[in-house]
Amino acid sequence: MDSNQKRFVEDALDLLNELDEGLLQLEANPQASAPLEQVFRTMHTIKGGANMFGFENIGELAHHLETLYDLVRQGKMQVSDGLISITLHAFDKVRDLLKEKDAAKINNADALGAHLKTAIDFLKAVESQSTADISKTPSSAIQRDELATFFLRISPAISITADGNHPLVFIVQDIAALGTSRTLLTKKESGEVVYWEVFLTTTAPQSELESYFIFVENECTVTYSRLTPCDLFEQPEFAGYLDSLGSHPLEMEKIEAFVALRMEAFNQNREEDADESESIATRKRGVGDSYIKVSKRKVDDLLNWISELIIIQAQLTTTASTIQNTSLADVTEQLEMITGRLRDTSLEIGLVPVETLVTKFKRLVRDLSKQLNKKVNFLSEGADTEMDKDVIELMADPMVHIIRNAIDHGLETPAERKAAGKSEHGTVKLKAFNSSSYVNIIISDDGKGIPKETVLKKAIEKGLISADAQLSDNEIYDLIFHPGLSTASQVSDVSGRGVGMDVVKQKIDELRGSVSVKSQPGKGTAIHIKLPLSRSIIEGLLVNVAETRYIVPLNVVERIDRIPYEEVHRDDKVNKTVVVNEEPLMVLSLRQRFHNEENLPKTTDIISVLVNGIRKGIAVDKIEGKMQTVMKPLGDAYKQQDFISGSTILGNGHLALVLDPARLFSLTHS
Amino acid sequence: MKKTILVVDDFASIRDFVCETLQRKGYETLGAANGNEAYKVLTEKADNVNLVLTDYNMPDCTGFELLKKIKDNPTVSKVPVIFLTTESNPDKMRSAKEAGLSAWIKKPYRSETFFAQIENAIGNG
Repeated sequence: MDSNQKRFVEDALDLLNELDEGLLQLEANPQASAPLEQVFRTMHTIKGGANMFGFENIGELAHHLETLYDLVRQGKMQVSDGLISITLHAFDKVRDLLKEKDAAKINNADALGAHLKTAIDFLKAVESQSTADISKTPSSAIQRDELATFFLRISPAISITADGNHPLVFIVQDIAALGTSRTLLTKKESGEVVYWEVFLTTTAPQSELESYFIFVENECTVTYSRLTPCDLFEQPEFAGYLDSLGSHPLEMEKIEAFVALRMEAFNQNREEDADESESIATRKRGVGDSYIKVSKRKVDDLLNWISELIIIQAQLTTTASTIQNTSLADVTEQLEMITGRLRDTSLEIGLVPVETLVTKFKRLVRDLSKQLNKKVNFLSEGADTEMDKDVIELMADPMVHIIRNAIDHGLETPAERKAAGKSEHGTVKLKAFNSSSYVNIIISDDGKGIPKETVLKKAIEKGLISADAQLSDNEIYDLIFHPGLSTASQVSDVSGRGVGMDVVKQKIDELRGSVSVKSQPGKGTAIHIKLPLSRSIIEGLLVNVAETRYIVPLNVVERIDRIPYEEVHRDDKVNKTVVVNEEPLMVLSLRQRFHNEENLPKTTDIISVLVNGIRKGIAVDKIEGKMQTVMKPLGDAYKQQDFISGSTILGNGHLALVLDPARLFSLTHS
Repeated sequence: MKKTILVVDDFASIRDFVCETLQRKGYETLGAANGNEAYKVLTEKADNVNLVLTDYNMPDCTGFELLKKIKDNPTVSKVPVIFLTTESNPDKMRSAKEAGLSAWIKKPYRSETFFAQIENAIGNG
């Protein structure tokens, strides 16, 4: 921490005490204006100081809380116990943070995440109550808009040069720094600026752009046009045209043609997205929704009872089909439908938007781009997509790693990008959307792509694949998830932090999700993560071993083969190598490991699963089929058996154990 | 002659930081913790202050009130005023401009923009 930061921390700690005092007074006298003003101002000061000295997490939290108190000041909201307590708790945390000796620890974005979310949720709840006034509230006066590409022409009314020291010169630069941009300068022979033309892709709304020019409006005229409601720089011809311009004047007809092209692609994408997210369309909350806070415990209880209901309903269906009574069958069918809807609705209750992560990533991108001297634009799409809260928390680190990789290894330096004919600003994009019972997250960059040859060479060197192996592009890219493939030659300050892509993959596997990579040389890389909406609903293969039923999670299953029983069970070793599909495969026999060898079947089904990047086989007696079911935790007595992640009750009342393949294999190792 | 800037901020660490930054660039600085104090300093040393650089939200007397007081007093109304603030509401910016504000610098700022605005305001003032 530098001396200025230390000063700030000391002052801020004093201010926090004043703030506490003010808040308590305000709680006692909710109508009094003096404590309210003091609270507002103190928060504002903390915000300003925090932002200035590089503690943006504190600044952001203070900003959101300040917005709430501003609403109170304007009489749009009442002081409530809830408001006071979230503020007190939030600043208690800030105080704890400030007592850390290390600036990096203070600036830990995670630390305040929960409080930030509470504040944002509170604001949302207030805003949804008073949707009528929403357009007038200051918080929405400058609201983050959707991404758009603007065209600005700034014509100075006074005589200035572009290398001069007039504020307008710097305002144009500040504007250009609001997103991906390209600035064209037209000047007279004398060097005097005729006008700047700026193409800018940004999330800032036009009103914010206009506010930059308020204090120089006598010195210049500015025209604005909103070209596209998306990133026009994604149209390669557009960037190419701008590059080719040199000192030739801009032809607006050409730009219009690029706009038309981009719009066509954009509308088409939108339609595709609409198809993809059809299932969430019904699920999305209406605009005028109001919110209530419910404790996590109640939601968990609800989910628990509903999963019981689903099990009983499945039993009823089985029973009804044996009794064959028409009216019973009717009722059962209706119950099945309603249970399904009830399950969907209740699962949705535990979901929160991925927005919380997005905020965190914005910070990360900003810091990394500074650290690595790269220009990066972070875009997010579908931040309102909802996910299980626990899954969001578990996914935060892996996603941070992916974004780090994208910026560190994926994106080129501004000079390299310029040389490659790209805009100097690289783009890292996070897109989230739902499809059936999965949440999809795509993190993409427009960098140089994954060097296929390097990956391949390394994999051969490490003996992961044979030198003459014929791999498809996708198979090569998938190698980056292999634990053996250390990217040591690329380890840098930023990415080489111990967490590799193999750990990312492992985390995703644990959540029963999947991950895939697409990359195009020179165009960029996209990492597609697919996660189940809920941790308690599981899709798996139901298998049978000596009268016991197991479920193998479907996300790790690679292929299934049936071989004669004796091939695996030749001797009494539990682990052995069997040739399956003309490849040697290490197979673990569930029967030999956990059951006796009576009533042996004639054949055995080998399920090939990918565990930590290595293909292994699980031998079972028979695969019954694929099923979707609710996973229930096992009782305390089974806590030690961590190779079983849970259990589920089947329609016929039988119990099935859900296997955790990774743990199953590590169990047999030791 | 060195130009003198009156820096007004109730938050001492920011005030000191801004003063130090300006001193490194060759300016003389004066400090005040709120609008009233600043107004007092300014009226006492009217001839020596070339620019007032103030925060927007402050106790007792806000930056906006200070601005109005300065612009209403003919002996000091020529001194340019700049707001250095995290506030970014266009309506507030607009009314400050109408009240005679020279520039609005958003915190955190880029140092080039910061100094360009200051030099420009002093040059015009």
